[in-house]
Amino acid sequence: MRARAVLAVERDTGGRCVVRELRSESPLSLVPRRGVAGALDTGVTVHLVGSATTPLAGDDVELDVRVGPGAALVLTGVAAAVALPGAGRASTLTVRVELDDGACLQYLPEPTVVTSRADHRTLLHATLHPTARLRAREVLVGGRSGEPSGRYAGTTRVVERARPAPGTTSDRVLLHQTQELGDAGLAASSAYLGGRRVLATEVLVWGDDSADGAVGDDWSLTSLRGRGSLATAVGHDAVGAQRALAEAVAAHPGWTSTVLAGAERARPAPPPHAAADESGRRW
Amino acid sequence: MPSLATLVLSDARFPGGGHVHSGGLEEAVARALVTGVGDLGTFLHGRLRTAGLVAASFAAAAAVAAGSAEPCWAALDAELDARTPSAAQRDASRAQGRGTLRAARASWPSPVLDALVAAHPRPHHPLLVGAVVGIAGGDPVEAAQCVAYLAVSGPASAAVRLLGLDPIAVNAAIVAMAPTVDEVVALAVAAADRAPADLPAPGAPMLDLLAQSHVRHHREQVRLFAS
Repeated sequence: MRARAVLAVERDTGGRCVVRELRSESPLSLVPRRGVAGALDTGVTVHLVGSATTPLAGDDVELDVRVGPGAALVLTGVAAAVALPGAGRASTLTVRVELDDGACLQYLPEPTVVTSRADHRTLLHATLHPTARLRAREVLVGGRSGEPSGRYAGTTRVVERARPAPGTTSDRVLLHQTQELGDAGLAASSAYLGGRRVLATEVLVWGDDSADGAVGDDWSLTSLRGRGSLATAVGHDAVGAQRALAEAVAAHPGWTSTVLAGAERARPAPPPHAAADESGRRW
Repeated sequence: MPSLATLVLSDARFPGGGHVHSGGLEEAVARALVTGVGDLGTFLHGRLRTAGLVAASFAAAAAVAAGSAEPCWAALDAELDARTPSAAQRDASRAQGRGTLRAARASWPSPVLDALVAAHPRPHHPLLVGAVVGIAGGDPVEAAQCVAYLAVSGPASAAVRLLGLDPIAVNAAIVAMAPTVDEVVALAVAAADRAPADLPAPGAPMLDLLAQSHVRHHREQVRLFAS
């Protein structure tokens, strides 16, 4: 199946984010979540829903996402995508993202399971304004339980648009990386997956980065050149890899401060007599 | 016939400081992921197919750029950084580039090197190797071969020192990788004329992780290698 989908989100004059354009075709449906009464979050959440069996051999799906100045979008999946056999034909998913001044996108699809005879290719190409923020996750599972992985190649390219100032004429590439599954020699190598089945990554171009990065037994967080960080985790199953990825993301100072600020806003207002503590900070 | 420059650059006795880098192998040994010649071969295969392919592609592209009227050194430098998400690996590549630069300036002085250094004062090692091969009249194939070989020979010699492996068996393990080396060189050379943004970009999740982990342990305890 060939599908072209478009999603554009903008911030209206009242400060609320609205879906300005939404076009989707089977097998990819885009379903906006209705607003929740009293929700503090002014952003928009859209679910990616597979409305037919996909990705399947020959599927060619493209999604263009634009987030306007100051707008916020969470684009999330509802179920794992299961890449199915390609009889000599690959399936492809191309996602192009444009983030304007002060725009935020969290692209959090559910895991992709690459079944043994699948041949699936993906491309995520994100272009960011220097003030925009991006969080993009990818969780790849090499085969269903007890099954070898099919072929998969996924490229992520993140580019920061040049500031409209003299002297900086070209865009600045932050990350360009292709992940591959389905090659037994690579998967077994302790330089690649070390025999693990699941690879999870998350790009965080989201405020402060940690110059030194952080590392655990099966995850790492490392700062990219210029701006942004990459969290990487490996695991024997999707649950373990996603847990390790969450640890890596929690080590990112920019993301953590956003989460803490959100928790602060969600807390009930302090009573008027709430005292400042010794350091002068208010609770 | 390979140029003398290619032979000199791939020689372990070349004074470029490559001997202090293990390419993630020391951390792999510390984690007991590599314990003998067998799993060393598996490690090297993965390294060659990923970090080795990136390095060989950029070396081949640099050999082309060295002979070009308008070499795109800044774009090559930025694209190689973007393909090296681990800050520790970017540092290791630039440290080796800087070491190689001193020897290169004395041996192959050329305005091409000045232009490369103008793009970044600490050039990435594969760019410097490719530039020198190009200056010396070598072709992209030689540049890719040299860098692909170095991607495995450095970690292999580190394994001999760290694990006390039989040097003859380790040498045989390197030579057994000839088909993979040829495959990587062919891919790198096929891409050498492309725009820098279109060069190969295979990731290596465990190498990134090992590189970051090595930096932390290097600070906390004595390590033999810098990376």
